[in-house]
Formats: sequence, C-alpha cells, structure tokens
Amino acid sequence: MSYPSPLQYHPDSHDSIPSTYTYRPSYSSSSSSRSAETLARDHEQLLISHWPPSHRSSGSLSPNRLLDKPTSARPIGNSLKHLRPADFDQIKTLGTGTFARVWLTRWTHPHDERSAHQVYALKILHKVDVIRLKQVEHVRNERNVLAAVAGHPFITTLVASFQDEESLYMLLDYCPGGEVFSYLRRARRFNEPTSRFYAAEIVLILEYLHEKEGVAYRDLKPENILIDADGHLKLVDFGFAKTVGNRETYTLCGTPEYLAPEVIRNTGHGCAVDWWAFGILIYEFLVGQPPFWDQNPMKIYEQIIEGNIRYPSAMSPDARDLIAKLCTVDTSKRLGNIRGRAAAVKAHPWFRGVDWDAVFHRKMQGPIVPQLQGPADTRHFDEYEPEPEKQEVYTRELREKYEEAFKDF
Amino acid sequence: MSLPPEYFHEINTLNREFIEASPDDILQFCADYFQRRLASQRHEFLVANPQSRKSGMVDPNIRGMQALQEDEAVASPTASSFPSNPFDTTMNASNPRDAGNGTTADGHQFNFGGFSASVGAPPSGGGDASNFPNNYNLNRRISVSAESLDPASTFSSNWVPPFYPKTKEQQTRLTNAVAQNFLFAHLDEEQSSQVLGALQEKRIPAKGVKVIEQGAEGDNFYVVESGTFDVFVHPSGKIQPGIEGLGNNVGTVGAGGSFGELALMYNAPRAASVVSAESSTLWALDRVTFRRILMDSAFQRRRMYEKFLEEVPLFVTLTPYERSKIADALESKKYPPGTTIIREGDPGDAFYIVEQGEAEVFKRGADKPINRIEKGGYFGELALLDDQPRAASVISKSEVKVATMGKDAFQRLLGPVESIMRRNDPRRGQAGMEEVDPLSKE
Ligand SMILES: Nc1ncnc2c1ncn2[C@@H]1O[C@H](COP(=O)(O)OP(=O)(O)OP(=O)(O)O)[C@@H](O)[C@H]1O
Ligand SMILES: [Mg+2]
Repeated sequence: MSYPSPLQYHPDSHDSIPSTYTYRPSYSSSSSSRSAETLARDHEQLLISHWPPSHRSSGSLSPNRLLDKPTSARPIGNSLKHLRPADFDQIKTLGTGTFARVWLTRWTHPHDERSAHQVYALKILHKVDVIRLKQVEHVRNERNVLAAVAGHPFITTLVASFQDEESLYMLLDYCPGGEVFSYLRRARRFNEPTSRFYAAEIVLILEYLHEKEGVAYRDLKPENILIDADGHLKLVDFGFAKTVGNRETYTLCGTPEYLAPEVIRNTGHGCAVDWWAFGILIYEFLVGQPPFWDQNPMKIYEQIIEGNIRYPSAMSPDARDLIAKLCTVDTSKRLGNIRGRAAAVKAHPWFRGVDWDAVFHRKMQGPIVPQLQGPADTRHFDEYEPEPEKQEVYTRELREKYEEAFKDF
Repeated sequence: MSLPPEYFHEINTLNREFIEASPDDILQFCADYFQRRLASQRHEFLVANPQSRKSGMVDPNIRGMQALQEDEAVASPTASSFPSNPFDTTMNASNPRDAGNGTTADGHQFNFGGFSASVGAPPSGGGDASNFPNNYNLNRRISVSAESLDPASTFSSNWVPPFYPKTKEQQTRLTNAVAQNFLFAHLDEEQSSQVLGALQEKRIPAKGVKVIEQGAEGDNFYVVESGTFDVFVHPSGKIQPGIEGLGNNVGTVGAGGSFGELALMYNAPRAASVVSAESSTLWALDRVTFRRILMDSAFQRRRMYEKFLEEVPLFVTLTPYERSKIADALESKKYPPGTTIIREGDPGDAFYIVEQGEAEVFKRGADKPINRIEKGGYFGELALLDDQPRAASVISKSEVKVATMGKDAFQRLLGPVESIMRRNDPRRGQAGMEEVDPLSKE
C-alpha cells in the first residue's frame, strides 16, 4: 500500500496547533505501513481536535472565511481516510431518523487534556440501508453540502467524515440544547418575539444556502433545528440538501406537512421550496401545529395544492401576511423567490426592528438558553430504543456496484 | 422492522379493556380508547416531563415562551373551531372528524392514514379545513423521499413512457375514475394521455388474491376496471399470518374505484390490505413511471422556454438564473384558430412566445397579414417596457399554444425591464427599440 499524501495544516495566526503536537510524517518508513497508518490517524485526530481553536467561544467562521472551501488548510469538513469508528466511544443516542442514528461520542484515546473533554455528534448511516432506501445520491449531497458550509454560525459544523466497510460516518459538532421541536411541543406554541428570533436566524441560513451556495435545503422543520449552548440555532440534517444553482430538480423529498406544492406536482422545484416550508414553520411556531394536516397523507397533499390556510383570528396581521406571502402556491409570487430574494423576506413588516447584522453576529440573547452541566450533558434529548441487532448485509455485489459512490466519505 | 414493546403494551391493554367491555361498536370503542390514551399521555408529558423541569423550563413565560395553559394571545373567538388546548381536550368521539377515519355504513367511502379509496362517491370534505384538526399528531415527523429522478438521464436515453392500448370505453372509464384524484387534476392533455396510456392491465383470476398487503412497500396505484375488492386493516399496522391476519374489513372497492394512490408519491408502507372478492381486472400504474412522465414533460417544457427566451433580444442581458426564473413562471395558453390574441391599439400588459401553431400579424389598413409567427417566435414583449398600445394585432391561424407572462409577474421576479436592459449590453444604443420589435418588421 502506498502511503497517502499527508494532510497539511497551515497554521495561520489565529488557528494554530501548539507546536508540540506538530506531526512530521516520516516518508522513509515504507517498511512499516502499520505504524504509518497509526501515525496518520493520530495526525487526523490532532487536526480535528483542535477545532474550534480554544480562544474562540464558538466554532463559527467569519463571513469571508466561510467561503474558503474545505482543504487541508481548513481543518473542518474534510474526508479523513484514517479515522475509524473505534476512535470514538458511543455515549448515547441523540436522535434517529429514517436513515440514520446520531450518537454522542468522545475520543476513545484522547491525546491530551483538551481532547479528553471533547464530545461530538456522530451520524452513522449503514451503506446497505442507504442503498435500500435509495438515498445514495442524497447522502453524497449531504456530505458535500455540509463540507461546503462548515463553519456557518447557524449550521452544525461537519468536523470530518470517514467510513469503514459497512457504514458512513459524519462527525458533527455536538449541539447540546436539543431540538426546537421538543421546546415547541412542550410550550405548545411560541409567542411572536420567540418565533421572530428563531425565524430571523433561519432567514440568514436560507439566504446563505440559496444565494452563496446555490443550495436548496428541502427539509425545514422543528425537528431539524437544534439549539446550541448559547441559545442560538443550528440547522442539522442536510440529508436532502442539494446544490441546484439555477436548474430545477425533481426528486420528491421532505416531510409531508412541509412539502411545497411544486414538489407534490413534480413540475420541478428549487430553492423556493424552502421559503414555502419557512412559512409553514412560522405558522407551526405561532399556532402549535402546521396549517395542513390530515390523518391521511394524501389529504394533506390535496390541501397543500389548494393552498388555503386558515389563521387563528388572534394571529397578528403582519404574521398572517408573511405566512400568506411565503406559502403562495404560485412560485412567481412567493416571497423569497421573487425579486430581492431573502432581502425581501427580511424587509417584511413582521421582521420590523430586527438588526440583521446583530443576528448574524449572534449578539442577541436567545429566548431559551439551555441549562447544561458540562459539554456532554444530554438532558435535552429524548430517550431512544437501542438499535435493532439484525443488520442486512452489505453484500459483495452491492459493494461492487456502489462502493465507488461512497468514495467522497 | 420489529414492533416496539410500547406498542404491544398498548395493544394488550386495549385487548383487556375490550374483553371487559365487549362493545358492539368495535371501531368506535378502539377509537375512543386511543383518543383517551393520547390525551392522557400528552397531559402527562406536559405536566410531568422531567426534562422540562430539569431544563429550567417550568415557567417558560420568563424566557419569552408561552405558558402551557391557554393564553390570551391566541385564545380567541375562534376558540370553538380552534380548540383552546388540543393537548388535553377530551376528544369528542361523536365529532365526525374524530371518528372520521372509519367507514360509512355502506362502505362507500373510507379513508384512513396513508390510504384512501372512493367508489364514485363525492369527494370527501376532508380537504376543506372547516375545523382545525384537533387530533394533530404531535410526534416527531419523519422525512419521506422518492427515488432520485434525473431528468438529464431520462432525456439522453430518449425514454418514452410505456404504452398499453385501450379501447375508447376503457379510456373514458379510466378518465372518470381518476378525475377526482388531485394528482391527476393538474395534468395537461399530453401528460394525461401518457399517464392513461401507461396504465397496465392486471387480471386477477380468482377471489382471495391479495393485491396489496398492509405494511408492505407500495409501488403501484390501482384502478378497478371490473370486479370487487375488499379492504382490510389489521390494528397492528401490518398484515399478520393466519386467517385472522387480514384484520377488519373496512370497505369494498368496485369498478371505477381506485386505491393505493400514496404509492404515486413515495414508498410508504401500505395502510391496508386489498383482496379480490371475485375474479377481477385492474389497471396498475407505478410511481417511477408516473413521476417520470410528469418530470419529463416539465423538464422539456422548461428547456424549450429557456431556449426561446435566449432568442428574444430584449432578454439578452438576463443571466441564466433569471432566464430559468422566467421559464418557471411562464404560463401556457391555447387559442383556437381565428382568435385575436392581442389587438392593435389595446394597452399591452403581457408578452407571448409561440410554442405550437402559427399566428399572423395584422395592421389596420393592410388587408393581408404583414408577418407570420411560428414556433419560437415571440410578440408583445415591448409591453414590458412601456405602456404603449399594441402596434399590431396577432391572430391565430391554426390552433396556437403560447407561453405567456404579464408585466406584473416579470417585474415581481426581476424588477423593471429597463434596468435589466441598461446592464452593459453592447447592443444597447445601436438597436433602437423598434428594430427589436418583430411586429414592426415589414
Ligand atoms: N450535531 C448534532 N448535535 C446534537 N443532536 C443531533 C446532531 N445532529 C443530529 N442530531 C439529532 O439526531 C436527530 C436525527 O438526525 P438527522 O435528522 O440528521 O437524521 P436523519 O436520519 O437524516 O433524519 P430524517 O428522518 O429527518 O431524515 C436530529 O433530529 C437531532 O435530534
Ligand atoms: Mg432529521
């Protein structure tokens, strides 16, 4: 086996690894590839465990550094070829979805004081499930989009990705506050200031994804929005995110109550679906349940296509107007999609008085600041059933057919 | 997937209560039981959730959240239709919405999670939200996804939908059968005929054939051509082995009826089993074919529009992003032969691109058409620039299909045309407006 090119870390004045940890690969020792492997893994561990740099309170990048793509010089969002699941202890399940299970993890063999206290969320997808559920394309998109946006203040940072024979792994910053969903259900609904605070952060996420990255997120819902230690939002689950640019896309995906009419009708969709879902989200924040619902999903879709929303009469006229403009069936009239794009949403009267710059720089105090005891506190997450033992096998045939598709991990 | 233990706990408790009460109305009893359970569980969750205490959320008002109790903010005159607190509303089982997922006495129409069937009955009132659903499912919702559809691969492989010939009568019956289904309601003629053509006959030779099984993966939608089918729901959510395994008969579907439509959206477990009651004939349509037909025509139409738009001099400065926005918003319209599409002297408010057919340009005073417009030709685009009256009339010669957009829509999407034209267009200043206008070419 030839020795892979070493990852290079170019410390800049802000994010440097203490020199004692600097890894010097020995190019000459081709005799012992085993130890070269171990060294390479140590190096990878070192790279990522120094994210975020200790003098920073959060792992966000400044707006202009955000645009640098992940490279060996930017220590987050890379595909690491030597990390293994055994490098992490799985502490507790944080959540499960249709496709994946997310674990709270820590380093099995921390190499210093600092990494001994580090925890991560590790999202694990079994390759065989990904294939069975026809999510191969989606999972590739998920990794690549997360890598491209790593460091955004309101998106969970993809620290690294890796894989083994059976599974794909995404190592994410742990977001300890739990899902907005849990808070919303417990409170039944949010008042306007609370809803506005969260909505404002989401506008900035969508603006960034759409206008800087050309990415449609496609699964906005309270379950996918987490609260971080400071009370700010982090968007998780980029399972359906896709770089669409100025082309439309067709695959139906999302969550039933949040699907936009053009997705149901399969006429081609783009970033505008997120503005529709954003309207549904604000409605659900304010009312406690989404506007379109029925036991029978087909009836939900029928209501969505018709697009008639009923509002509780006590809802403020501005909120009502905003929701109506976002949840407009005709995409040529939908707020966010029309001229001005996100700026037009920000300018809506419901957001009057919001200091958007302060929002981006996380200067506002969030309405819910989770109480936490230490970085590994999981009190804000529900309990989940253990993972079923039985696993389908990733057969040789499947491997031959699909392994290539997973090579970015 | 194995069923969770909590589930068995629920079912066992229900069984015990059922045996004790031995009710006449089985469905009603079960529905009541689950409503009660749901209400009490939600209540427990709210008042006793240890997380809410630990997380310092006991009095969420302090941090700007609304109290658990009903609050003035949303409590309102709608209170009757918007239940003040769905969490612990005692569900009124006589409310048709709550009981509404069963079957009517004659089994004409029924509808339950993920599955619905109708037998020529009027469309259900479920769509008009005259009530806020007060039994909203408060659990975490899972995502759904269909198989990846890549228009480029369909396009390059010259995919054509399968076509199974049908008689005139069969076609009429099928058209009627799917008429109420909203998934088919928005199809244009071409899509409709492709979808109808793709329905494949499936003979069910005998009574007792399970066409779909509750809990199994669903890929097909079915229309009944002849015969009848019984619909069964097993309370476990999944068909079970043995004679009892089908569960309760909740209705029948006869000729002209249809079932399994959710499978046209994505692969979700079937919500019921459907078993033939006699030898029958079905028409089947699979999801991938259905969605591919829709995608294909949308994709081709958009590419065609984009190409047309590139040809319009007024739009040369549009970016590809803007062009695709306009292509997305163009509306298709059809005119029979001899229709005046725009009239000389009228105020102009929309522009047109000819998609199909042929139109002629007339000017007052001339007895012959001064110009012809065919596929890809455009007219009326100067209306986007100023409010000048139309300089000529355009009349369809054959049936004409146009893609059109109003000035309002254009400005809403991209802003005023003038400012778009003012971008560094090298041609600006050289070509006068009149030259750009095909109507003025003589
Ligand atoms: N970085 C994180 N920190 C804390 N919890 C997380 C993190 N990422 C995910 N989770 C938890 O795990 C849950 C499932 O993760 P995710 O939504 O990514 O999985 P999924 O299988 O793609 O879900 P879905 O069914 O919505 O597609 C989330 O809803 C959240 O509660
Ligand atoms: Mg999720």
